Parts: sequence; structure tokens; C-alpha cells
Amino acid sequence: MNDILAAILIGFAFGWSLRKSGLTKYHKIVNVFRFTDLTVLKYMLSALVVGMTGLFLLDGMDAIKLAVSTPTYMAGNLIGGLIFGGGMALAGF
Amino acid sequence: MKWIIAQLRKESWSPYTSGAMLGLVVVFSVWLTGHSLGASGSFENVAGGLLKVISPQAADTLYWKHIMPAGISWQVYLLIGVFLGSLAASLLSSSFKLSANPDFQWRAVWGPQAWKRWLAAFVGAIILEYGAGIAGGCTSGLAISGGVALAPAAFIFITGMFISGILVTMLIYRRKF
Repeated sequence: MNDILAAILIGFAFGWSLRKSGLTKYHKIVNVFRFTDLTVLKYMLSALVVGMTGLFLLDGMDAIKLAVSTPTYMAGNLIGGLIFGGGMALAGF
Repeated sequence: MKWIIAQLRKESWSPYTSGAMLGLVVVFSVWLTGHSLGASGSFENVAGGLLKVISPQAADTLYWKHIMPAGISWQVYLLIGVFLGSLAASLLSSSFKLSANPDFQWRAVWGPQAWKRWLAAFVGAIILEYGAGIAGGCTSGLAISGGVALAPAAFIFITGMFISGILVTMLIYRRKF
């Protein structure tokens, strides 16, 4: 039960930040590929920098054990990314 | 206090602010619940759950048992939260509106017909979900959640995503690029 409540609360904050950054809109997603609006990059890279700093700090203080969850396999990640990008540009999500 | 309310009611925030907020969300999610964020996986979970009801034999594979457990998972609840959070954000900024084809840029390129938007969203989402299934995650599940742990997979995925994203938009926007 607590796990479910935590999921909904975390999702709430996630959805809130997506909506406030405007990434729920078609033109924001597509325009990053046209280099006319870099919101997606600004958003993603700020999230990465803050998240990395926080997680590696916690890992350094032994509060969590940081593990790479997704295995690396060049072909799969790259081909998946190539297919994904096409769908993303078409649908605008 | 007044300032906080004004910020909450604002139509949009700077991408740096909202991005930093997502970064904090990722940190708290991993720290307090042990789960990392993701979006595309929940659709696979639900699809697997439906398949289990229709044909239990077809759902009885390694994929649905171990890689993407069929049924209502933690991520599905996360997605419910995402819906509520974005709904609250748009209600608070009084920009909530129901529309079948809301985006001005889409209308300028493809015309006002709603069915075109829905068809492109449906087909695009199938392609997107298929790619996410092969790569092991989507923009949130792999690029963000993997990227914060410095997983090489995340950066290979982002590279592929931008290569084909740029190519497909070039095709679509040939004249107006």
C-alpha cells in the first residue's frame, strides 16, 4: 500500500514537472529535432546533472547502492534508439 | 507564500527548473523506494496482463515472467501519478482544455483534421514502444534513469534517438525545415 502511494506521489511530481516544462506538447518534442527549440535537451540534461550528483552523493555516503539497471548491448541499445527516435518524431511524445 | 502560489499557477516553468525538479524526483525515488522511473514499461506490463486473461499460454514466456512482469506493476501506479500531476498542473494554471487536435504547429503542417493527429500518434507510439522494448527503456526509463547511474546503454540510446529523430523530422518538414 505504501509502495503504491509512493509511486503515485513520485509520478505526480514527474507529471507536474513535465507539464510545467511544456514537454507534453507536440511542438516542443519535434522542434528539438529541428534545432528551433532546445527545451527537451535543457530539461533532460538538467535532470541528469541533478540526478547524477544526488545519487552519487548518496552512493558515496553508503545510503544507497548504485547499480546500473540496464545492461549494455551496443546493437540493441542503438537499434532500439533508432526505432524509438523515429516514433518520437512522428508522434511527438 | 504569495510567491509560491504565483509560481504554482504559472503556465510554464524554465526547463532548467523543471528538469532539476525531475532530477530530485529521480534521487528521492531511488533513495526512498528503491525503484527508478520509467514510462514505456508500464504499457508492456498492462499488455502482458491483458494477454494473460485472453490466452494464458501465450503469456507463459520468459519475457512476461522475468523481463517485463505481466500485470499491474509499480510503474503502472507511477503512470497514474504522472496523469494526476500533469492534470493538476494544467488545472492550477487554468490552461486545462479538452481538444482533439490541440497543437498549432501540427495544424500548420498537417491541417486541422483530428484523425490525422490520432493516427500519427497511434502509429508513432507503436514504433516508439517497439524501439523502447528492444533498447530496454524509453526516454525516462533508460535515458534518465540509466543516465543518472552513468549506464553506457543510456548514452548509446540517446545517440540513436537523436539520429533518427532528426532524420524523420527532416523528411516530415522537408519544405519548412
